[in-house]
Amino acid sequence: MPSSTIMRRLLHWSKLLLILGLCNCSTTPNDQQKDTPVKLKVPSAFPALALPEDNLPTRARIELGRRLFYHTDLSVDGKTHCGTCHVQSSAFTDGKNIAQGAHGQSGRRNTPTLANLGWSPYLMAEGGVPSLELQALAPLHEPAEMGVNMMDGVAKINRHDDLRALNRIAYGRDSLDPFTITRALAAFQRTMISGDSKYDQHKYGLATLTEVERKGMELFFSHRLQCSACHSEPFFTDYGFYNVGLYSTYSDPGLERKTHLKSDSGKFKTPTLRNIAVTAPYMHDGSLNTLEDVVAFYNKGGNGHTQQDKRIRELHLTPQEEEALIAFLHTLTDWNFLQQKSLAPWEE
Amino acid sequence: MKSSLLSLILACCMAIAVVGCRDKNTIDETPEETVTTGQLTLRMNAKWGTENFVIEEVYNDTYGNRIRVDQFLSYLSQIRLVRVDGSEVMLKDFTLADFERDITLTFNVPVGNYVGLKMGLGVPEAYNKDVDPAQYPSSHPLSVAGSQGMFWYWNTGYIFTKFEGKIDTTGTPDAELLDSFLFHIGDDPYYRELNFTDRDIRITTSGEAALQLNIFVDQILAPASGASIDLATDAVTHTSEQDVLANAFFDNYAAAITLE
Repeated sequence: MPSSTIMRRLLHWSKLLLILGLCNCSTTPNDQQKDTPVKLKVPSAFPALALPEDNLPTRARIELGRRLFYHTDLSVDGKTHCGTCHVQSSAFTDGKNIAQGAHGQSGRRNTPTLANLGWSPYLMAEGGVPSLELQALAPLHEPAEMGVNMMDGVAKINRHDDLRALNRIAYGRDSLDPFTITRALAAFQRTMISGDSKYDQHKYGLATLTEVERKGMELFFSHRLQCSACHSEPFFTDYGFYNVGLYSTYSDPGLERKTHLKSDSGKFKTPTLRNIAVTAPYMHDGSLNTLEDVVAFYNKGGNGHTQQDKRIRELHLTPQEEEALIAFLHTLTDWNFLQQKSLAPWEE
Repeated sequence: MKSSLLSLILACCMAIAVVGCRDKNTIDETPEETVTTGQLTLRMNAKWGTENFVIEEVYNDTYGNRIRVDQFLSYLSQIRLVRVDGSEVMLKDFTLADFERDITLTFNVPVGNYVGLKMGLGVPEAYNKDVDPAQYPSSHPLSVAGSQGMFWYWNTGYIFTKFEGKIDTTGTPDAELLDSFLFHIGDDPYYRELNFTDRDIRITTSGEAALQLNIFVDQILAPASGASIDLATDAVTHTSEQDVLANAFFDNYAAAITLE
């Protein structure tokens, strides 16, 4: 083995041990290491985060999840990773109308943000998946996302000594398998907590909204507009499913795909508005490019689908009110979340 | 000397590891009681009329369509032998039958006389939805690897049966089969219990009892009684609530299975 390779590996191992805070002259990565529990930093306005007993957050689990999240070996083309569509600087969305996965294959919908998914009572567009652990299998399996045969992915990922060492510390298993991969991905995603926007700071008395932003906030929470009826605090979503009348005829069945009920036609889950200014384009199909387009759409009152929610009606907003509403939506951006180093790809 | 001792310790450790890691699911065909057992084989034999059914072979259905089944997989669960007193012996909890291959299951069963065989077509409710396939070892039929894609990841729940292929409806001999049919069926209401009664199954220590499950694929589409399925017009279902086509397919399928 060339000396440069040996040096690179030694450096790699020492970095891994430093990350875990486990550097101990008497141990090697093959020894049974003790993992360190992590207390997730939850904003005071958020409810407690329910954690699965079999996957409590630890440093090794979160770190393993982060590495897997950004690992191309879990994709069929060896070039795609979760972060391909879930880009941190865009609040883990991708700026595309419709997501594009492995081999450039187009998906069905706009990429959703991953912020605060730990609190989501159900996952996936139709809400059919009950936990982040189980959800992790969906994008890995889906041809238009990672598209990997899971066992091929498992075989490839197990070639990496650093991941196997982390896996051993995190879950006490010598090799990564579907169980540990999905647990680690879920553990990492639970750390994607966003609750430090200008609006949050304003609520804590740490920042002051401008006059326009304040006016927008009042409109947002007003009985007249009822935005907050569905985009309710603290997550700016009620996790409900509604037909907002984006189309008079939908090509995407929405919730009907799961329930097979015509009354659920065109119903989509309320998206969070946290970081909404950086997650364009909007709506389930990314068909509205800007926040201005979205506010104009709601001001118009939808396009009259038979199942359109009754609260979607003409709002008679003035241009100044539209501007104020958009200014308020910009205050929901959590810049720390977009730059938080622990959520970024790790540096080898 | 030192290296010999090391080799011995290593060999012992490996032996312990091999024994310790034996997957319980590989021995679930054998009842755990320490009783005298005999052997029973259960062969699943797919047929088209009187002939053996072959995947990717072209058949003529009763509607004049030429059809070719490219994939036919199905979960069978809770396979049990029934004693005279009605008590049951579990033979296998789950198996995923892929009709591209010969499917013969072998069991060690307590000796005695049995009068029936029961099994489920599909995956029972308790094991179906909101169940994480990643929790099973890879050798298990419900695991990520073992399920061979028979799981709805976007919504959770197992696909009980996949029946896919190509069809030509032109009636022209040797015409290319260009149209597709696809039956993905699986939801709790579609689970079917099969119950073969009044049998005389004798398990002895000396002989080998053999049962054969015949699946008449032609009768799934054209049952003796019930709704027949014309793949020219009813070609696709992913299963929905009160899905007439999925119901017809699964009713026909359950009725098309016989035990000999």
